[in-house]
Amino acid sequence: MEMMIGGAFQGKADLAEKTYPGIRWVRGEDVTKEELMKAQGVLGFHRFIKKEMKEGRDVKDLAEELIRNNPDVILVSDEVGYGVVPVDTFDRAYREAVGRVCTKLAAGSKKVTRVICGIGTVIKDA
Amino acid sequence: MMILVTGGSGSGKSAFAEDCVLACGEKKRVYIATMYPFDQESKKRVLRHREMRAGKGFDTVECYVGLKNTEVPSGCTVLLECMSNLAANEIFREDGAGEKTEDEILMGVEGLKKQAGDLIIVTNEIFSEAASYEGETENYQCVLGNINRRLARMADTVVEVVYGIPVYHKKGEDFCEKPVEQL
Repeated sequence: MEMMIGGAFQGKADLAEKTYPGIRWVRGEDVTKEELMKAQGVLGFHRFIKKEMKEGRDVKDLAEELIRNNPDVILVSDEVGYGVVPVDTFDRAYREAVGRVCTKLAAGSKKVTRVICGIGTVIKDA
Repeated sequence: MMILVTGGSGSGKSAFAEDCVLACGEKKRVYIATMYPFDQESKKRVLRHREMRAGKGFDTVECYVGLKNTEVPSGCTVLLECMSNLAANEIFREDGAGEKTEDEILMGVEGLKKQAGDLIIVTNEIFSEAASYEGETENYQCVLGNINRRLARMADTVVEVVYGIPVYHKKGEDFCEKPVEQL
């Protein structure tokens, strides 16, 4: 498993497509959990988390399930935890869930790249 | 030694900071808790942190305002969590320091640094997002930003925890890179 993370509109998807050529990408907001477990690469993984939570599904064990069922997936996700604590209850829960899920996934990833201004910095290469 | 641990929400800052404390060796450990449990959500959060700390030998001291009045045993290891809560308490609570928040907190940290052997402070990155604020929220961001910058100058090591991965912005000479593995 590898991850590419960073703020919105930083060129993560472009860099991911260049870094991992030949991968079949799906978008987080479009896929079911079943499809996620078989995906080669996921763009906008944070949007999968949002969709699941909006539809009332728990994401508590999502990281463990992905590591178990799809250990070779490439995940591209926004970082969403760098602002003021949101006033809205759902927004707060979503923001924290992205953090917790991605922290566990990063622990299970062999490589994590952080993208700022289109530039990728490898922050983990195990 | 002083370490400033920062990062986004839910990024593993606490777990990392606790590992730093354990790596400081078998000294007395004091946890300065700053989150006032005012509703169900914050009570749950406090509980989660207590569970994480369980068995690590911390004495917990609650400090919601007035950090400079907090005393800790000489030479102990102190973990203060979290600066963003303490600053919010000082700014927004009636018994807080209000406009004097920045200087009052810095005075408190200087006092702790003198008493403690090692001081680890957890703070928070709340400065990068699309939403813009005005009035009291923007002031809060400004004050915390100033506090973080002053703490970073005082600290030997400044580390941002990104999804559990430490990214160093300043690294002291005697800092052990992989604290956990040295236990």
